[in-house]
Amino acid sequence: MENEPDALEALTDFLYIIPVGLVQFRMDGTILLANPLAVQLLLPLIPNNDFTDAFSALAPLAPDLARRVHAFSHTSGLVLDHLRCDGGTSAEPHTLSLTVHRTYGGLNLAVLEDVTRLEGQERQLEADRLRFRAIFEHVRDYAIFTVDAQGKIDSWNPSLRRFGGWSAADVMGKTFDLFFPPEHHDPAELAELLTLATRTGSAEIEGWRIREDGPVFWANSVVTALPDSDGAVRGFVIVSRDMTVRKRMEDELRRLATTDPLTGASNRRNGLARLAEALRPGAEPPAVMMLDVDHFKLINDQHGHAMGDLVLCSIVLACRKLLGEGVPVVRWGGEEFLVILPGTGMEAALAMAESIRATLAATPVDAVGGEIRVSVSVGLAMAAPGDTPEAVINRADAALYAAKRGGRNRVELAPPP
Amino acid sequence: MGISFAEPNAIRLLGALTETEMDELPTGVIGMSQDGIVVVYNRAEAELSRLTPARVLGRHFFGNVAPCTNNHLIAQRFETEPELDATLDYVFTLRMAPTPVRLRLLRSAAEPLMYLLVERRRPGGK
Repeated sequence: MENEPDALEALTDFLYIIPVGLVQFRMDGTILLANPLAVQLLLPLIPNNDFTDAFSALAPLAPDLARRVHAFSHTSGLVLDHLRCDGGTSAEPHTLSLTVHRTYGGLNLAVLEDVTRLEGQERQLEADRLRFRAIFEHVRDYAIFTVDAQGKIDSWNPSLRRFGGWSAADVMGKTFDLFFPPEHHDPAELAELLTLATRTGSAEIEGWRIREDGPVFWANSVVTALPDSDGAVRGFVIVSRDMTVRKRMEDELRRLATTDPLTGASNRRNGLARLAEALRPGAEPPAVMMLDVDHFKLINDQHGHAMGDLVLCSIVLACRKLLGEGVPVVRWGGEEFLVILPGTGMEAALAMAESIRATLAATPVDAVGGEIRVSVSVGLAMAAPGDTPEAVINRADAALYAAKRGGRNRVELAPPP
Repeated sequence: MGISFAEPNAIRLLGALTETEMDELPTGVIGMSQDGIVVVYNRAEAELSRLTPARVLGRHFFGNVAPCTNNHLIAQRFETEPELDATLDYVFTLRMAPTPVRLRLLRSAAEPLMYLLVERRRPGGK
């Protein structure tokens, strides 16, 4: 036998190392050929270790194999296609896949594959798929969706309907800034966000989002890159959470922390912070107005404290109306207000201060039991580069006293430092 | 001469046999060094496997000569059990032809060689 050509030995070696079990058998079940792996896979399953009859050897996997082989009337073809079966002992469970081919000459070839690992992976994948679907479909207050590398939405699930009333037709294939209010539709911003998520793994944004039916809500979104097996980012998963309630609470807390409860003006601490910000290096130096209600004690005495409070509120309202919401009006002390005017020069600042003074003097406050005539004195100081808040305030204060001494109901400009 | 397949003291007795005595045994005997290199391949085994000793001696038995034994049932037991005397029914697939055999796996720390005894088995028989 050692004189046989090497080709036969090579073929045998090939059949020995092939990672599937092979068994060739006749129509009556007689086994003609088998490779070692077939023996290894089947032997633990066969009660009497008999490996002469294929039907009994394969019975633990396919009990009705003989019937199926005989029922197959073609001269060649697939008798059995990847039948999954438990093969293995209780100590070592295996899942085998059995395929049987009819070959010419009334021969059959059984192919056995050990798919235990594949089976485990498939089961894990299926479990993950079900788990993720459960999360996608049943989370409340969250939307979970995926986008491609360009930020175009490529999956829809019911969380988007609950979250913003969005249907699949509304969103599929559109970039996800669809959820942003129109003024935030900025392709550059979107690209920047995705670039950041690609570089660092994930990025987070907060902001107002729109529902399909209109109303806005505040949302926090985490964008996480989905890398391919080769590390390239092929898309992102976005988890958005409705934070409107938290946002409103935060806004309310911020308002409470930064405003004067009576008038709604900024409180003194917040005013100082705003002034320091306005005086930061490089910014156009602002003008600072110190405003004091003339004879406020008298108003309180004559009309009562409730009417005094009303006067204070009306002054803040008047300033807001004349100067706009963006100009900080600060309740500095009892009846004293600090206004930080933008750095538009002395002429403009003087004009604004004068207009406030004149308006207040010309507009009596509607009070219970008649009108109250009110006037204010104003000290105006132009900030210079490098000024500290204290220095500007001191100059405005000095100018205010000058205005008081000068007869009240007037604007006094502080001399430059 | 008197060493049968089931001889209780087989491993010690085999170690004392000459080459001629080994060839006269009716049972197939493969003797291996502790790392699986074939050192003894008697006549009975050569006839059973249709391989001459010249082709087998000096080669690794599980990896090279009989890959159909290179599994947890046989090779792995030799590797992991320093004291081994186990008998099992098996099917050799020399040149893909299934051959039912009964095997006895022998290894002892006291003996330099480990042995695989091979006996042809009637299919389905005891």
